[in-house]
Amino acid sequence: MKNPSLTAKLTFGQRIGVFVKKSPARMAFIIAVFLYLVTIAINPAAFNASAIGSIIMLTLLLSFASAGQTIVLIGGGMDFGVGAVMSSAAILTTTIMNAQDGHFFQLLITALAMGALVGLLNGICSVKIGLPPMIVTMAIANVVTRMQYVLTEGSPMGYAGPQFIKSVTSRLFGVQFLPSIILYAFIIIPLVYFLLNRSRFGKQVYLVGNNPVAAKLSGINVAKVQVLTYVFSGLFAAFAGMLGAAYMNAARCQIFDNYAYESLIAVIIGGTLLSGGVGTYTGSIAGSLVMVVLSNMLTVIGLTQPQRNLFMGVILILLLILYNREKNVRQ
Amino acid sequence: MFELRAIEKRFDAVVALNGAHLQVEPGEIRALLGSNGSGKSTMIKVLAGLVNPNKGQVLIDGNPVTIQNGQDSRKLGIATAFQDLSLIPTMSVRDNILLGNEPRNKLGMVDKKAADELIDSLLKRFKIDCDPNAYVQTLMPSVQTMLEVAKAVSLKPRLLLLDEVTASLHYDEIEVLFSVMRELKEEGVAMLYVTHRMNEVFQICDTTTIMRSGETVTEGKMSDFTLDDIVYYMTGQRPETDAKGAGEHVEKADGEVLLDVQGMTVFPKVRNLSMRAYKGEIVGIGGLQGQGQSEFIRALLGAETVEDGTIIYDGKEAKFKSPAAAVVNGMGFISGERNREAMFPLRTIEENIIAGKVAKGNLFAFMTNKSNHAFANDAVEKYSIKIGELGHPANSLSGGNQQKLVVARWIAMQPKLLLLDDPTKGVDIHSRQEIHRILRKCADEGMTVIISSSESEELLAVSDRIYVFYEGAVSAVLSGANKTPEALVAAMMGMTE
Amino acid sequence: MTKIKSTLQRFRRSPAFAGFILFVVAFILNAALQGPSAFFTVRTFNTLFAKNVPFILVTIGQALLLMSGTMDISCGVQVALVNVVVIMSGQRMGLPFLVCCLLGIVAAMLASVVCWVCCSIFRLPALLASYALTFAIKGINVMIMDVPQGKVEKVFYKAYDSQIFGFIPVSALALVLVLLIWLYVKRTKFGSHIYAVGANPRNAFAAGISPSGVQLKAFLLKGLFTGIAGVCITLMIASGNPLQAEDYGIRSLSACILGGLGFGGWGSVACGVFGAGFYVLIQNSVYYFFSLLVKLIPGFAVSSYWQNFVTDIIIFLGLLMTIVTAKGQREALKQGIVRQFKREPYKAEAKEGNGGEGK
Repeated sequence: MKNPSLTAKLTFGQRIGVFVKKSPARMAFIIAVFLYLVTIAINPAAFNASAIGSIIMLTLLLSFASAGQTIVLIGGGMDFGVGAVMSSAAILTTTIMNAQDGHFFQLLITALAMGALVGLLNGICSVKIGLPPMIVTMAIANVVTRMQYVLTEGSPMGYAGPQFIKSVTSRLFGVQFLPSIILYAFIIIPLVYFLLNRSRFGKQVYLVGNNPVAAKLSGINVAKVQVLTYVFSGLFAAFAGMLGAAYMNAARCQIFDNYAYESLIAVIIGGTLLSGGVGTYTGSIAGSLVMVVLSNMLTVIGLTQPQRNLFMGVILILLLILYNREKNVRQ
Repeated sequence: MFELRAIEKRFDAVVALNGAHLQVEPGEIRALLGSNGSGKSTMIKVLAGLVNPNKGQVLIDGNPVTIQNGQDSRKLGIATAFQDLSLIPTMSVRDNILLGNEPRNKLGMVDKKAADELIDSLLKRFKIDCDPNAYVQTLMPSVQTMLEVAKAVSLKPRLLLLDEVTASLHYDEIEVLFSVMRELKEEGVAMLYVTHRMNEVFQICDTTTIMRSGETVTEGKMSDFTLDDIVYYMTGQRPETDAKGAGEHVEKADGEVLLDVQGMTVFPKVRNLSMRAYKGEIVGIGGLQGQGQSEFIRALLGAETVEDGTIIYDGKEAKFKSPAAAVVNGMGFISGERNREAMFPLRTIEENIIAGKVAKGNLFAFMTNKSNHAFANDAVEKYSIKIGELGHPANSLSGGNQQKLVVARWIAMQPKLLLLDDPTKGVDIHSRQEIHRILRKCADEGMTVIISSSESEELLAVSDRIYVFYEGAVSAVLSGANKTPEALVAAMMGMTE
Repeated sequence: MTKIKSTLQRFRRSPAFAGFILFVVAFILNAALQGPSAFFTVRTFNTLFAKNVPFILVTIGQALLLMSGTMDISCGVQVALVNVVVIMSGQRMGLPFLVCCLLGIVAAMLASVVCWVCCSIFRLPALLASYALTFAIKGINVMIMDVPQGKVEKVFYKAYDSQIFGFIPVSALALVLVLLIWLYVKRTKFGSHIYAVGANPRNAFAAGISPSGVQLKAFLLKGLFTGIAGVCITLMIASGNPLQAEDYGIRSLSACILGGLGFGGWGSVACGVFGAGFYVLIQNSVYYFFSLLVKLIPGFAVSSYWQNFVTDIIIFLGLLMTIVTAKGQREALKQGIVRQFKREPYKAEAKEGNGGEGK
């Protein structure tokens, strides 16, 4: 901006590159809007209040699951346990509630404790013991998943409580595109914002993710901060799993397992670096929107399942190329 | 004949080379001298194909050549032994030496027999006692350096570049190296030798090129120079003028003891080391590279495990388990390895300044932007540290400003004991003086400063007393009238009476 | 004698040692639980190899990629790709089976090259790029073959399930073939370049090696191995299924880590083999453990979910184990330094002692 002659010289592609680098969150929003416009252009029937409502619903659900993933990635880790924790929390929800509303707090505490426990295990194994986070969180997620089958004999019982379901899926003021899950967003989003941007913990997470050695020598307890990021990831995933159960009404084993990868990609598309140190939660919300709009598009425009998979893969690679930020060896 | 003509190189805003020139004849050992940041290493890297100069020519036997990468450099008959080692630690000695230069048989496989012979003769020639199958990371730093040189020599170069390879070598290893260099000289190999050890230069080199701030200041036969001449050309000052500054500092040796270290041992670099620091004093730690200085400082901070000895800090026995504990107890640490150990390059300048404040206190306390901003501003203003916009990322700053940033981070915390490990490495002279000024001001206000530096001038200029380290122990304590460049250099070489 | 001893010593310090121990433990466990008389039979070994060679081959390919500092979690669906290509090219175009196999292998190598382009040319994070490719390839698989179908001529799948000289399983030959290819490649300069690129691309570049070129070779080899694995799986199930083996991608990764491979420049193909062997044998052992329980305790009955649960717990514990062995190696490393270090100050005395001690 300061030097117009310099910016003028950049080619269109370079300018896009600069924009993506400077404000990945805004870029992700633009991509999401663009994808939605494409959807409407191909199938105008897709433009209606209830469709928008369900996009918002799924975006918020994914963004809650991504909250922890964002914190972990910024802190220099990676958490593939998000999916398994969500599924387990969903199963806990239907089992404990059993279509009644009375046990909400009992459920909340059990689910969060489960999430925190898995997160703690992830944190200890990847930070304190020093195993590669990707592999060890996957191994732990596998164990958690198998536990779901063992404890439920493969078919979880029950349903979420009707009031709880209503608190997630009903429409505010009777407006179709305002699902009441938005109310939960009023709790989660400020909480994440506080954690990342206004607390000492958040500042430490950014520093630790950017340069753990310097952070340690500056007197930050690196291991503690990193383990805590995993614990938060477990907590947020567990909460997202409860809401997910309310959205789906009933649960089955592995119901939300794909959220492990989806949250990771949403966070990356939102501008968080895989190597840590940089990222925003706003970006992750935008990234979640892209993921939901993308899969909505592939469904709505009438592709077959294999075509959808193919497009999904290709578009994801294109998105990643847009965000390609690994440096070349030759500089 | 190899020649570099009018080479210019800029790294962003920093000018590393400004029209420097250099030439070496076959069978000549030329010393390339200059203080840190004078551009010697950059010259070497131009020849090695790692730095692409902005301007200038490289000529071999009068013909201009282009060196784009390591492969080009090797093809032109240039081999380099790097200061920061180009060995791959997780590979075996054998594979490292052969890397990129494997003898092959008819089937395209690596010819094991030829390779074994090559390795055996090479290890014998350099008198390196190690298993060719051992992983390089299991070897002592000095052995690794010898391997680095051996690897370069194994390429049978016409020009051999040796970039500060003797920094971590022992006497007998240096002897071996020199005898090999003399043999190569007989064979007509041209050699460029970069070092900080002046006695070696007179011992082995025929000619010299002296550089200062990216320019070639002078060149000529070794026999035409005295040590004083060399120091003059390197620094622009006669040594006498330097010594004057030393008398200014007041002895505080009768004040209150802040730190008392007795018999400290840190495996494997520090052995039975004792030292003492008083309140409001700047203690210098001198010595050649890798004599245990940084391990000592890190041990005080709790970043290295102390195996033996006692540390009394602020009246209490203190062996901190982690830097976090040390920082809570009023220590601060500034590293010269900015990129690795001090900077958060992707974060803003403000976040870099408040990193020390962020490290201390309740994890879930509310931190307002306003208070952070005020804190950073105060830190910058109080010591009039000029560093760009607080909101810009830290990697937009030059090296000198980055270091000032790190200094500001810790000064703002008002630690009781500030530890600095070679803080002005690669920092321009202006920022360096500013950092010295800030340190002096802090000491006057009662802060104790321990500063390690590989540069004699810096130590003599800034410190009240100097502990000189040699092979992990104190070889001399210099203060008052003893604090002369000659005494310092002698003690650095381990020459104590 | 001393030579054998020093080779053993070296093996103990090598990265594959951890995986080897795990493998041996699993092997003994399996033999004990199944009963040695039932375990050490041609039939058992034949089944073990026939069923698991594809997975072991994929793991070897993955190990190569990890050594060169990258990875590919889409190799599971690539195996399925080979399977559908082999079956459908036979069914639609009537090509002879062996030509179909070649086509399948080429398909796997092509997929690997695409992955290389994403990872090395576009420099995308390998994990995410290959995850995205998983979707794409899965889509292509189903487009080629929508539902499980097709068959392989009896001669071929019978041959796959038979033994040479009555005791060497034919399926094991695929593994031997791949290991022979690797033994050759390892002895070319690529064998050491792959480590240099994996450990430090910058230093490798300074030594005149092209990092992306080395990674291309690694991806091509991995494609070849995956292709052979796909042919094996085709012979094993004797039909086509577009949605199978997807979990090979992730499982091969954790098998490599179990075997002692690190991310980039540390470890060997042996790590992959031992890791995969452990994976396979533990699953087997847990199966026999539960059937033993059923036999010993009257009325004991649990769902198969328990088997999976126990298996995954053991694999997790195996991962933790690798740290114990890594610690041991680090300790040995440190002692090595101590030995050299102690020698330094006492050069004069040490010199006489050196000759005998060193060699």
